[in-house]
Amino acid sequence: MSNPDPSKMKQDCPEKNECLKMLQVILDGEATPEQKEHFLKNHLEECMPCYKNYHLEVAIRQLLKTKCCQDAPQELVDDIKTKVINNLAS
Amino acid sequence: MELEENSPKQNYTEAEKQTIFHGEFMPHINSMYNFAYRLTLDADDAKDLLQDTYLKAYRFIESFQKGTNAKAWLFRILKNSFINDYRKKSKEPSKVDYQEVESYYNSEEVDRQITPDLRVEALKDMIGDEISNALNALDVDFRTVIILCDLEGFKYEEMAKILDIPIGTVRSRLHRARNLLKEKLSEYAKQMGYKTA
Ligand SMILES: [Zn+2]
Ligand SMILES: [Zn+2]
Repeated sequence: MSNPDPSKMKQDCPEKNECLKMLQVILDGEATPEQKEHFLKNHLEECMPCYKNYHLEVAIRQLLKTKCCQDAPQELVDDIKTKVINNLAS
Repeated sequence: MELEENSPKQNYTEAEKQTIFHGEFMPHINSMYNFAYRLTLDADDAKDLLQDTYLKAYRFIESFQKGTNAKAWLFRILKNSFINDYRKKSKEPSKVDYQEVESYYNSEEVDRQITPDLRVEALKDMIGDEISNALNALDVDFRTVIILCDLEGFKYEEMAKILDIPIGTVRSRLHRARNLLKEKLSEYAKQMGYKTA
């Protein structure tokens, strides 16, 4: 996305909440190409609240991915494998 | 148990079972552990839940159809085990409480109230456990949809199957969950000295 000129953007969005829902559907990869096209090209660059929301949504997703994933302890992984192998033998 | 209902029972040899278990189930163990941990919020319970789930998956392996989505299948078992075996024991709100919570958060009224003004700059300074704590602080059903969607990348349709709820509910629950998460995050931002506009 290019860097839109803030002075030319709407400072208020009459449909901020509906737009946020659409934005999330787009970021979730669940929007149709037409929805994406309309929103990302025709709306986002003209609308300050939605433009800000877009960056916020993206930042939160990144933060979640980097901070909220932890691996299983190796001991536990080995334990599960062993239990299943024993299960196979019995 | 729910595992038998969908697909017809497969007939696998012992060797095939092993191949499926190691080739299709084990690669998801880190995601599964993380899910178990985020649901129970306790390392010991997470261990038990993960182990139960994998042993169950192995026991019911013939209900799994090769080539279908193993990760979604496993997540569904884990979620059901959590509800049946752990949720009852814990202090989580009961189903009735939850329905009240959900209908409350589904009202458009609340939707308008909760538009927390959180700024990207504040998020950049959240380098500690803020986001993790914020996620853990959410009611388990809201926490779950964020994990499935934002951490694990499940599609709405897959989430609907894992959670046994309609797609429309997935979408609205996810929207509420994100609003609630932002609300928590903006509390942290305030504590960190960021002004919310
Ligand atoms: Zn807008
Ligand atoms: Zn719009």
